[in-house]
Amino acid sequence: MAEATAHGQVYLRRLRRAQLTLSLAALVAFGAVFGVLPIALDLLPRLQRVRLFTVPLTLWILVVPIPPLFVAIGWLYARRADALDDAFRDVVER
Amino acid sequence: MIALLAVGAVTFGTLGIGAWGVRLVRTTSDLLVASRAVTAWWNAAAISGEYLSAASFLGIAGLEMQIGVAALWQSLGFTAGYLALLLFVAAPLRRFGSYTIPDFAEARLRSPRLRLLAAGIVLVIGGFYLVPQLKGAGLALNVVVGSPYWVGVAVVGAIVTINVAIGGMRGITYVQAFQFWVKVFAISVPAILLLIHLGGLPERAALFGRSLPRAGDHGLVVRRLPVSETVQFPAAERFELNGRTVLVRAGEKLHLSAGSDLRLPAHALVPYATGITPERGTTWARPVGGPGQAAPLFVYSLLIATFLGTMGLPHILVRFYTNPDGHAARHTTVRVLALLSLFYLFPAVYGALGRVLTPQLYLTGQTDDVVLTLPRLAWPGTVGTLLTAVTCAGAFAAFLSTSSGLLVSLAGTISHDVWPRVRHGMSGSVAVRRRQFRSAAAGGMVIPCVLALFAREVDISILVGWAFAIAASTFCPMFVLGIWWTRLTARGAAAGMTLGMLVATAAIFTGLALGEPTAGAGVLLEQPAVVSVPLAFLVMIGVSLRDPRRLDTTDEMLALHAPEGLGLRLADQDLEVVG
Repeated sequence: MAEATAHGQVYLRRLRRAQLTLSLAALVAFGAVFGVLPIALDLLPRLQRVRLFTVPLTLWILVVPIPPLFVAIGWLYARRADALDDAFRDVVER
Repeated sequence: MIALLAVGAVTFGTLGIGAWGVRLVRTTSDLLVASRAVTAWWNAAAISGEYLSAASFLGIAGLEMQIGVAALWQSLGFTAGYLALLLFVAAPLRRFGSYTIPDFAEARLRSPRLRLLAAGIVLVIGGFYLVPQLKGAGLALNVVVGSPYWVGVAVVGAIVTINVAIGGMRGITYVQAFQFWVKVFAISVPAILLLIHLGGLPERAALFGRSLPRAGDHGLVVRRLPVSETVQFPAAERFELNGRTVLVRAGEKLHLSAGSDLRLPAHALVPYATGITPERGTTWARPVGGPGQAAPLFVYSLLIATFLGTMGLPHILVRFYTNPDGHAARHTTVRVLALLSLFYLFPAVYGALGRVLTPQLYLTGQTDDVVLTLPRLAWPGTVGTLLTAVTCAGAFAAFLSTSSGLLVSLAGTISHDVWPRVRHGMSGSVAVRRRQFRSAAAGGMVIPCVLALFAREVDISILVGWAFAIAASTFCPMFVLGIWWTRLTARGAAAGMTLGMLVATAAIFTGLALGEPTAGAGVLLEQPAVVSVPLAFLVMIGVSLRDPRRLDTTDEMLALHAPEGLGLRLADQDLEVVG
């Protein structure tokens, strides 16, 4: 382990950077949808008058499709993050 | 009566399990954190159970009644907060192994003084978050047994204090997990049954058209107004007040004393209490735009506060240590996202139904009551009464679990971080420390209870928004930078957190003093996160870069980021940081 330490540090820094890049990528994906949504809805006032099953469409938009999107982003992120950890394990154990 | 029984069952169930849990609680670390190694689904349910508070259970629907669809940004923000937590905090923090936020502050930045600052902020956030829980309790007990507002605050304050003092963190993840399902049941079943009973949302102009909220086909009766109110009439009206016919002009304001009885004729426009702006159906359906809490600036500020504030809530973070490792912490958080998405489908139903079926809440100003009273008023008879009992019990589950979690964090911080500093050094025996924890629990409840008595007129959702704003302006930058940036120093973290907290609290109290201005940038006083969070980040980075003292963070980064099971980590050698 002692001789691995110097290399280990390099690998660890690489892992941290890779994880951070992944997190930021997920953040961008999230922001692309969620950050734009308020502006988009603000610019489309006509949506307020549209109804789906007697309920304003805007209510549907905020309640139903967005949370599953969070789950999807989270799930994909967690899988990728675990894969990065596993790759690091392989490198260190070799 | 049925409602009282249901509430009693939830309360004594919680207390009983708390008392029973005592036998399982043996050491301080048990008292602060339930034993580790629980499966991801159980853990996720427990985290969600602790998280879903009065703000989620009552506040969102109440706000939706008032300001419309724009209120639903809250539930989205509350959910999205776990995505931020997942992306930046969950796994590294679990791997680092500190139990509490002050622990992390001291261990990562090697500064005992930073620990004290973090402890102070924990107390502020916890206090701000407890107030709306107690407010909800005051309202709920009023609905259940008609008791005065302060009685509910005092009763729930006392129950939670006893529960925490005897049971610690209720020892058990399973109890919190169970509470989550109680809350899901209590909000979903009445909502679904009501929708079936009514055949969907009733098609009334008030909800969708140009109309303001109106009385129904049989008029609107309000008996025994709970508090005296000044109400404004949107249109000229002839109505009965205490049995006598009264005539008002459009726009006229009338002072109604507590205990008044009102009877409005069929389809009359409902008068509204001070502080409530009635919305036409089309405006109500507007998710963004206009002044106040639907203003784009406010929406973004709220989203930032909730997105980044969740990771800084003291009672939530501590739950993550029941995950066995970083991998499990990630997967637990993904499940939390799924469970919260399920819960937040339902509050919106109550807000929309309330606008049509219980417009009297605009008159009394108590829109936060809508989840509690809607089933009874919308479905007269036994079923409605039963369903109100169910929502009341769910609301109590929400107050009890969140308040208990918060109070455990507060008491733990006082007895663990603050007290030993004041009294110099840890005083020895387990018994002494446990006694300190208990007196801290009692002390930690007093101030929030007093504040709650004054907060009756402030919406639950606003109160909770402040706790999130402060958490996002203090702990979020410390976590994100502390975990991912090697150059963060104690001085930088202290400067950023102090400034973030000062800016956020100053804005909030200025807003209170000025009576919540709603125009233009005034909304930032009500929700300052969009300013205070970037400011805290910038100051933290700037001061750290100028700090001549550099830390060698090799060990800390190893502890934060190295996966388990490689023998690289101290924790792998079975060393647990026990405070």
